[in-house]
Amino acid sequence: MTAIDLDQQLVELRSAADAYAARHKFIPDLTWPEGVRIAVNFTCDFDAMLLRRLLNEPPMQLAKGEFGGRVGIWRLIELFDVHGVKATIFTPGRICELYPEALRAVVESGHEIADHMWEHRVPKEPALEEDHLAKTVAALERIAGRRPVGTRSSHSAALLRRYGFIYRSERSADQRPYYEYDEGGGNGLVNLPMHYVIDDAMYFNFNWLGTDASAQRITDPERVGDIWWAAFRQQYNVGGYLNVCMHPFQSGRALRIAMLDRLIGQMKTLPGVWFPTCEQVARHCIDRYPPRAPSE
Amino acid sequence: MPWKQGYTISDERSLTDSELRWPDGARCCVAMTVDLSVASGPEGVTAADLTTPEALFGANQGLAALREVLRRHAMRATFAAPAIIAHIHRDLVRSLTAEGHEIAAHGFRHEDVSGLERDEERQRIARTTEILADVTGRKPAGWFSLPRQGDRYAVGAVSPNTVDLLLEAGYLYLGNGLADDIPHYWVSDFASRRALLTLPYYYHFDDQFFLMFPRKGTGLEHPDALLRNWRGEFAAQYRRGRYFHMTLHPQHIGWSNRLQMLDEFLAELRGYPGLWNPTAAECARYWLETYPASAHLRLAPSIWQDYPGSLS
Repeated sequence: MTAIDLDQQLVELRSAADAYAARHKFIPDLTWPEGVRIAVNFTCDFDAMLLRRLLNEPPMQLAKGEFGGRVGIWRLIELFDVHGVKATIFTPGRICELYPEALRAVVESGHEIADHMWEHRVPKEPALEEDHLAKTVAALERIAGRRPVGTRSSHSAALLRRYGFIYRSERSADQRPYYEYDEGGGNGLVNLPMHYVIDDAMYFNFNWLGTDASAQRITDPERVGDIWWAAFRQQYNVGGYLNVCMHPFQSGRALRIAMLDRLIGQMKTLPGVWFPTCEQVARHCIDRYPPRAPSE
Repeated sequence: MPWKQGYTISDERSLTDSELRWPDGARCCVAMTVDLSVASGPEGVTAADLTTPEALFGANQGLAALREVLRRHAMRATFAAPAIIAHIHRDLVRSLTAEGHEIAAHGFRHEDVSGLERDEERQRIARTTEILADVTGRKPAGWFSLPRQGDRYAVGAVSPNTVDLLLEAGYLYLGNGLADDIPHYWVSDFASRRALLTLPYYYHFDDQFFLMFPRKGTGLEHPDALLRNWRGEFAAQYRRGRYFHMTLHPQHIGWSNRLQMLDEFLAELRGYPGLWNPTAAECARYWLETYPASAHLRLAPSIWQDYPGSLS
């Protein structure tokens, strides 16, 4: 290998990293509405058995997911309502054909319904991708009476913008909400960061994201509650943000509802804790810190 | 609910806490399953599985110690026995019924039935039923299909025919389902409302996934997490007036530190008034009478539509 090759590698890798960084605009001076010290988004990925079905998992795995629709979602709605928490339910469009009654209850309680893909996948073919998003938007609109403005998916930003979306909630390039632009430097969306540390599936679910049995370290809610409380405290101290990702088939189990009840109760003992929907947080960012695309 | 074949097994919504009633005004149902299988893989119990120190311990000292703890706390359990285990340990299995425990079927050899032809599965169910009836003197009322430590999914395996075949063979209940935390109906045919009562199981209350898991020698011993799961679930379900369930394996829970933990947990649990501790068959009979499918299974036709490029 010659010195020229190495210099070329420096250029290529640096430009890849720079281009990626340029697509992200952080909001280092982010503050919340008067009197608010931290915004906490409670979010549910309400895929029930749909992802299990998509992955062709066996019947008992589907039944495990079914718990989310039969039992879990109802308990979470009750928990949020008791605590005055406005939650965001990321819902695959097809769930409207499986659990319409539960989704109507979500809407009646004033929670937000957002997109979680048509059937928990984003097709590679652009036409089919749009077809899936259009179907989901229509199905969620029929249930909620308004179109969703947020997504937890990897749908393309241009497509999302065209359908009126303002935010995405996926991954975490920063601890606070930030703007993310596509490769052309346009189609900005607020990203409300979620981290796997604050995701129930990492602790309670066997075979999440294709892991095999030998990789499982399933644990108890007390330990998870301690981790989440520590994360909350750190962000509370710096006036930050926390996005709690839950799956009704996991967090809806009685022992975990009890843990969440204690956790929310503990959060509420501190002044300035705000429990808005994801949409409220996204709109706050857009109003207070208007996006400025990298190309501008 | 909008029924959907291949997605759902039951109706849209579980019974709420306030709809639940247990016999004699009891507040919470407490059920225990003891798995007598030593199978390590999908083929079910093999000669290699039977000829290990752990299997020998489980059948002897482990089981004896577990029985003693159950006796001390007056707890009754349902023992899920593969036919081969009932055949080998005939007297031992039979003696459990004298202590008020129930013997339920756990496959011919706790094999994975998910890929079997319907006829072969039917024959295996028939032969298993016959062997258990011969050993215990009565036909088993329930059937289990519990997971093994080495399984890919910690939920248990059934075939598309299992539920229907169990109904055909006269079984009262399936012992392990995950769609609810109380008994519920597993619908095998929407049109006729043919359904099998299913009792709840969850791997977070199953000792084998916490004690030297995923396999011996890993040093991954988490009895503390298991105990916190039991305690957390029991406290929450007791408050709701629902159902608490745990699954035990004599070769795992019967060993010193774990046995002590179980003993202490059961002592705690016994301090709560109003517990109903039935065998699985007793619970199933109560449920079928109190919440019959004819009145309590609320199935609405599917509203699912098929589209090109989407799941069907």
